[in-house]
Amino acid sequence: MVEFTLPANSRPTKGKAHPAESGATNVRTFHVYRFDPDSGNNPRIDTFDLDLDKCGPMVLDALIKIKNEVDPTLTFRRSCREGVCGSCSFNIDGTNTIACTKPIEEIKGDVKIYPLPHMPVVKDLVCDLNQPYAQYAAMEPWIKTDTPAPNRERLQSEEEREKLDGLWECILCFCCQTSCPSYWWNGDRYMGPAVLLQANRWIQDSRDEATGERLDELDDPFRLYRCHTIMNCSNTCPKNLNPGRAIGEIKEALAKRQ
Amino acid sequence: MMDQMRSQLGRVRGLGSNKHGVGHWWAQRITAVALVPLSIWAVVSAVSLTGADYTTFQAWISEHGNLVLMLSFVVAMFHHANLGMQTVIEDYVHGEATKITLLITTKFIAAIGAISCIVATLKVALTG
Repeated sequence: MVEFTLPANSRPTKGKAHPAESGATNVRTFHVYRFDPDSGNNPRIDTFDLDLDKCGPMVLDALIKIKNEVDPTLTFRRSCREGVCGSCSFNIDGTNTIACTKPIEEIKGDVKIYPLPHMPVVKDLVCDLNQPYAQYAAMEPWIKTDTPAPNRERLQSEEEREKLDGLWECILCFCCQTSCPSYWWNGDRYMGPAVLLQANRWIQDSRDEATGERLDELDDPFRLYRCHTIMNCSNTCPKNLNPGRAIGEIKEALAKRQ
Repeated sequence: MMDQMRSQLGRVRGLGSNKHGVGHWWAQRITAVALVPLSIWAVVSAVSLTGADYTTFQAWISEHGNLVLMLSFVVAMFHHANLGMQTVIEDYVHGEATKITLLITTKFIAAIGAISCIVATLKVALTG
């Protein structure tokens, strides 16, 4: 929802500064968002000076180094550390991306790490993703058929399979979802780019037999048509996918059957 | 919040799909496409009629082609403006009462604006 004033306790204050260990020569400063809703305090931005000579190349390596060596209370999600699980999505250097595939070298000056925008914060860099998960579940991301199951695989031509390229690779990190102003203002009713890209993954699947039903569910001024082609989604996707185009394909399918 | 205890899935499904999203979207696109040539025509005509007296204007507007284009321009413009305002209000206004009041007001203004332009144009063109 559009709000011109911030709710209480949302303005970040200056936090603790952690200087680099003595003798460090290749120092970079990391500004990290910290918030503990239980404490009743405002969020704060902690500063960590790290010796990059003793740190891995990615932003996630820096976060893990901080947690292991400087402040074990820093809270964030991470798992695969190679860009396939979608856990470590944050707002890094002003853009949503996954920390494990974002080289520190690519960032000029200090590195700023915030949680994904406009989501409720559980603690520090962990935000509440229950709403997008429920939206994903609501579009029923599984194959639906009436034809009895064959004794072998459901066949698909190479051309039919190619339609899924650029869609199946999504790792549900929700970088695009939370970069979309339309999702910020109307996330309760707008499905958002990540969920719509996933919806299109099933709409385009030649093996699925519920295409019409899926389109019925999306033929709604809020669920689908809150997309105003702002294209933040396609700019921010760490897997270089194009949710904007996927949404365009759904609109095209709906226009075709008019 | 009213549905605090409701499951997240229940909240997301809400009142269900309205099943008429594409009509609004399509109308917005069609009127936008129509307005490209119509707006250029309207501006060019207005400029070429600068300084013309009433009789000249009356003769111009009563020509069949000009009258049709003028009425098309008026209808497309008010329809498009109404659809656009509706989108903006739905995007940014979240209080239910304010939203509905603004949406209805916009529709009334667009309808009265369009009808009054059509009546004025026809009066000048047909009766002089």
